Amino acid sequence: MASSLKYVRVPPNSASLAEARQRVFEFFKTACRSIPSIMEIYTLHDVVAPSQLRSTIASEIRKNAHVTNTKVIDMLLFKGTEELSNIVEHAKQRHHIIGQYVVGRQGLDVGTKDQGVSDFLKNFYKGNYF
Amino acid sequence: MGLGQLASRALLRSTRLAASKPHHLLLRRAVVSTPELHNSEAAAVEAQPEPDLPKRTPVAGARVHFPNPDDAIEVFVDGYPVKIPKGMTVLQACVIAGVDIPRFCYHDRLSIAGNCRMCLVEVEKSPKPVASCAMPALPGMKIKTDTPLAKKAREGVMEFLLMNHPLDCPICDQGGECDLQDQSMAFGSDRGRFTETKRSVVDKNLGPLVKTVMTRCIQCTRCVRFASEIAGVQDLGMLGRGSGEEIGTYVEKLMTSELSGNVIDICPVGALTSKPFAFKARNWELKGTESIDVTDAVGSNIRIDSRGPEVMRIVPRLNEDINEEWISDKTRFFYDGLKRQRLNDPMIRGADGRFKAVSWRDALAVVAEVIHQVRPQEIVGVAGKLSDAESMMALKDFLNKMGSNNIWCEGNGPSPNADLRSGYIMNTSISGLEKADVFLLVGTQPRVEAAMVNARIRKTVRATNAKVGYVGPSADFNYDHEHLGTGPETLTELAEGRHPFCSALSNAKNPAIIIGAGIFGRKDKDAIFSVVEAIAKNVNAVRPDWNGLNVLLLNAAQAAALDLGLVPESDKSIESAKFIYLMGADDENVDKLPDDAFVVYQGHHGDRGVYRANVILPASAFTEKEGTYANTEGCAQTTVPAVPTVGDARDDWKIIRALSEVAGVPLPYNTLSGIRSRIGIVAPNLLHVDEREPAAFSSAFLRPEVKDKPDKTPFERAVDNFYMTDSITRASKIMAQCSALLSKK
Repeated sequence: MASSLKYVRVPPNSASLAEARQRVFEFFKTACRSIPSIMEIYTLHDVVAPSQLRSTIASEIRKNAHVTNTKVIDMLLFKGTEELSNIVEHAKQRHHIIGQYVVGRQGLDVGTKDQGVSDFLKNFYKGNYF
Repeated sequence: MGLGQLASRALLRSTRLAASKPHHLLLRRAVVSTPELHNSEAAAVEAQPEPDLPKRTPVAGARVHFPNPDDAIEVFVDGYPVKIPKGMTVLQACVIAGVDIPRFCYHDRLSIAGNCRMCLVEVEKSPKPVASCAMPALPGMKIKTDTPLAKKAREGVMEFLLMNHPLDCPICDQGGECDLQDQSMAFGSDRGRFTETKRSVVDKNLGPLVKTVMTRCIQCTRCVRFASEIAGVQDLGMLGRGSGEEIGTYVEKLMTSELSGNVIDICPVGALTSKPFAFKARNWELKGTESIDVTDAVGSNIRIDSRGPEVMRIVPRLNEDINEEWISDKTRFFYDGLKRQRLNDPMIRGADGRFKAVSWRDALAVVAEVIHQVRPQEIVGVAGKLSDAESMMALKDFLNKMGSNNIWCEGNGPSPNADLRSGYIMNTSISGLEKADVFLLVGTQPRVEAAMVNARIRKTVRATNAKVGYVGPSADFNYDHEHLGTGPETLTELAEGRHPFCSALSNAKNPAIIIGAGIFGRKDKDAIFSVVEAIAKNVNAVRPDWNGLNVLLLNAAQAAALDLGLVPESDKSIESAKFIYLMGADDENVDKLPDDAFVVYQGHHGDRGVYRANVILPASAFTEKEGTYANTEGCAQTTVPAVPTVGDARDDWKIIRALSEVAGVPLPYNTLSGIRSRIGIVAPNLLHVDEREPAAFSSAFLRPEVKDKPDKTPFERAVDNFYMTDSITRASKIMAQCSALLSKK
């Protein structure tokens, strides 16, 4: 089945940053609206709450909040829509969803530990090669 | 009639056919034969003004040294004229002309044997092909390497060699890098005629390092010549004659020489191979990374062959100035220590005395908290033997920011003299030792301290019959030497001219005095240095064109540490320390440390340093990081990461930079180039990689007078066990086997 998302449409070019921003919000709304069906498909009822998934989606979008090039935003939206449709049409499996979007997301937006530290230290904690 | 006329007739017939189908004419090429083309002499006359032959360069980019430019002679190699110095052999002339002649027994650094006969080339006016490795090139000689005679000779020799050679390629370790395989593909014939049974030979036991399968031996005698000439041990020899020849030790003897691993590289076939590396990998699976060895202060150039995350073997690289083509056994075989006893997680010692693995955040937070609770003068830092310049720079900067200046490198002693560079490096560079004619070794046993320097001294002694005088405990040498004494009294006698060796020293044109770094640990170090400098002044060893006063260092980190100024403020700092930062320092004597001192150990092996540690921070070993090391002659070289770091380990300087940030005093740099520019301010010679920066001033004339007399205690051995000197070698199983079986007791 091609795409079960009801509202999805990704025309290639956003005319302006405002339009791209609009599209991002529409994508976010689409994703949040598909959360119940995702939880149904992958039986995540005991694992995670919908609000947690919403925060996860929001943080993933926020990771790219600094982008200003409309073409890049369009490309990122395309990738996001692709990922969302993969999840909704059950092309992924439960362990994918849990590993990629549920685990390790504690203290997602509230980075109190890491607020005052430099990029060097953040990268240092993650690994040796940066 | 000639073929040309046949062709023209065929063409006439075909054009008649083609005329009926004109559209096919475009597909036919006109082959026209004219009478001029049949006449070959006319063609030769026409071709006389030949186009210029492409310029030929020597094989592998070799440089030719003309010791006497007027004495150059000209020979012709395959019609190409080439100028060579007088005294060169035909093979060397061909190498200069860019022609690589196959050979098995010839090696540039060994004496000429001429017994494999693979290097046969044709020389005009000679009744039979000559062995180019042995024949001196005479002026006007015309050498031909690609004539049918030379090719037939090579095929014949190859056939003979392969006759008794076992069909071991699938199980032979040398497959893929075997001279016999390569040369038989390039120069051998495609089929053999041998139908009898092949001979086989008993294997010899040469020790835990060299695996022998003597059936594969082609009796080139390279190993025999290497052992007797370069390693100085007459262990190997050729027994028997004809097809019953065997290479062996005759008596049941193991090869105990510290250079014995080099016969593995030298052997062109799989007769002598590396026992630890046997059956582990093929050479095409391995990724070679060019790096530097840090087990001793020589900084031999090596190539680390790795497969994935594992170092499979270590092979020497050519560096004429430092290690030529050889490496010591310790350098070659310590790599399995990199896989054992590795620290891969930060650990904190709990209240019950056991270590618990924690995250980096927690470990750095604990260390930062403790370091703020002690007073600045109670903070001590010790850099280890294998530390690179970047991490030592970071450690010194960090401790200085915390207010402490008690930081030193182990092996440099309590109060090193880091003011003049000539006081702690080998001022005659390692290659410069070849020009010396008298050596005076003071308190150093180069055979165990720096095997490549010893090889260079032996090379000089063998070439020019240089005299060697040795002051120290009785030790093993592989060249003729005079044991002058065991303690500083001998030095005083030499300085005052009372010793018989003084005459040899004064008559020398280029005397070289080598002081061992074991003297750094003595209390009367300054007195001994002043006596040796007096000797140097008497024999005129320090002149503008020749500085013969050398110090032979023991560790890879010492020279860089002294260049960067890692000199402690007080030599009693350990007794009053409350916080000590050991960066890979396993051999430092921490017995005097107070019991409540907080010890942080940052290193890659769980060696002696961790027993007393409160916090362990895992760092990367030299094969996993890019670090600058200065060797004993002051040449700065960098290691390159060959394998990824183990577990959660980080690079040394990164740990210190992160710790400084967590402690609230962030260092001003956070990239490798940042640290390197900081090093450039402190010691710019460390940034000139692969270049040896000679010392500007000689310490012999600039040091203040020392009034004390040296102690009477005789000199001690600095290195007890050659095979186990630092944390990596102590963790290695191969080194343990070697020290059990091969140590010279």
